[in-house]
Amino acid sequence: MFEQYTDPVTYAKIVDWPNVTAMWRNSLKEYGKNLAVEDGETALTYEELDARVAAMRGALKAQGIERGDRVGVFALNGCGFVVSYLAIVTSGACAALLPPQLDGMTVAGLSRMFGLKALVVDAALKAKLPDPMPVATLGTDAQGEPAEAVEVQPEDPCVIMFTGGTTGRSKGALLSNRAVMTGTKYGCYGIREIFEQRYFLVLPLTHVFGLIRNLMACLYTGSALHICRNNKDMFREIAMFRPTVWVVVPALAEMALNLSRQFKRNMLGDSMKTIICGAAPVAPYLVREYHKLGIDLFPGYGLTESANLVSGNPDNLNRPESVGLPFPGQELKIVDGELWLKGPNMMDGYVGNPQENAAAFEDGWFKTGDLARFDEDGFLYITGRTKEIIVLSNGENVSPAEVEAKFNELETVQDSLVTAENDVLVLEVVPRNTVLMTKGLQDPIAYLREQLNEVNRVLPTYQRVAKIVIRDTDFKRSPSMKILRNQK
Amino acid sequence: MNRQEIFEKLKEIAELTVQDPAVLANMNEDSDLSTDLGLSSVGMLYIVIAIEEMFYIRMDDVSFGDFRTVRDVVDYIEKKIAE
Repeated sequence: MFEQYTDPVTYAKIVDWPNVTAMWRNSLKEYGKNLAVEDGETALTYEELDARVAAMRGALKAQGIERGDRVGVFALNGCGFVVSYLAIVTSGACAALLPPQLDGMTVAGLSRMFGLKALVVDAALKAKLPDPMPVATLGTDAQGEPAEAVEVQPEDPCVIMFTGGTTGRSKGALLSNRAVMTGTKYGCYGIREIFEQRYFLVLPLTHVFGLIRNLMACLYTGSALHICRNNKDMFREIAMFRPTVWVVVPALAEMALNLSRQFKRNMLGDSMKTIICGAAPVAPYLVREYHKLGIDLFPGYGLTESANLVSGNPDNLNRPESVGLPFPGQELKIVDGELWLKGPNMMDGYVGNPQENAAAFEDGWFKTGDLARFDEDGFLYITGRTKEIIVLSNGENVSPAEVEAKFNELETVQDSLVTAENDVLVLEVVPRNTVLMTKGLQDPIAYLREQLNEVNRVLPTYQRVAKIVIRDTDFKRSPSMKILRNQK
Repeated sequence: MNRQEIFEKLKEIAELTVQDPAVLANMNEDSDLSTDLGLSSVGMLYIVIAIEEMFYIRMDDVSFGDFRTVRDVVDYIEKKIAE
């Protein structure tokens, strides 16, 4: 199906690799002198990057890391992240990628939960960690005697990706080398010019869209990756680096359009040819507006659990509302409106979470929680979500239960509910009047509002609510007293 | 550029990020960026990029999380322009 959208020579180069090491060796052989990564003042070719990766493998070996071990990465986007990730997975170990916005106690807890043998930590994040940590730590700049890369079986674990939980707890999805390499290959389909491109990274590398479709697809295709450390600088850096591909969430694609309108020039520059857009619903108007600028914006659909991309839309102009055609090798079916998946790209399960695994799989099928339909030509459309997770247009997955729990810690809060309205989080609170009224306050509601604002201010940015409503009535509830989320 | 001119330019920037026209019409220096203007993290990013572009300043010494109200932003721009 995808052959027609790529020239035959390019299409023939999209092949299977059994593991990350095999792919990396091929990229070194084919593209050794190409620029691989640019991060601030640092610019490394594939060969130069490999030298750093080999030295880091040596440092891991000195720590006793062997094939099958799990090693965490707690780092900001940067060259150090790329080196650490590649060193771990080409050592035959599994990299648990921990989002840098996590607090130190959570990182310590996850280190235990995931059974990490070591944790690679960015110098900028080290101060967040408790002392002592339950695992050995080393820096993203650690170096040792260069060590050889290790080839592993396709089913050997490759990464643990952190994903928002649906029942109030976040989870770690375990992806094998086969899953990661299948997801990476899928990322190369449907685009005319895919090899030796210039990629611009703004997405977090701890997010599957950043890791697989951005970093891994870049390395697979001998392309160059520019790492933008501060998103506010992205357009200045785009002007300098002149990228050809941007992997991005719809909110940022729309922001670039609006800025282009405000300043009456294409902020993405004339080198940009392709935008891969996903991780949240893509408005068809983005496809059309970018086409006017001479840029192809391709919507896609994917999950952390499916090693990113399940489908991509090469027929973007004719069917901009579709997330495209499923990539080959997968099985898809719709059960009671919900999309179920099977395929070589699927995760092995959530780490140490049999309850979630039992809920997520049925007869080997992964239940996505997304409502979907196909058209007569096999194009896929996502129509809603069965799960409670909130997906904002910037791609952030927010578990409302997690945010509500933070506000419910206040003794003055009886109960709370977080929903999304116009793409921002809204908090509704039922005050605990029995406590509030005994405080002898002149304005108890103003006091409560200030307390809620204080909690809100210290939440991670992606969990902060933009609007607070204090109710004078309770929520509608089920017989078991659960809040009926859609019937406030 | 005086304070009022800075505010007017900020309002111009906010036009493409604040969705509700009533909220935009009521925007004043006391408006809370998050709870009154309802700016999401991407909305905040838009405003920072647009401020840098429009006022020819670099906001490298501050995080947008440090600003609570429109007044905080106007104060900052006024100070940066004077530098």
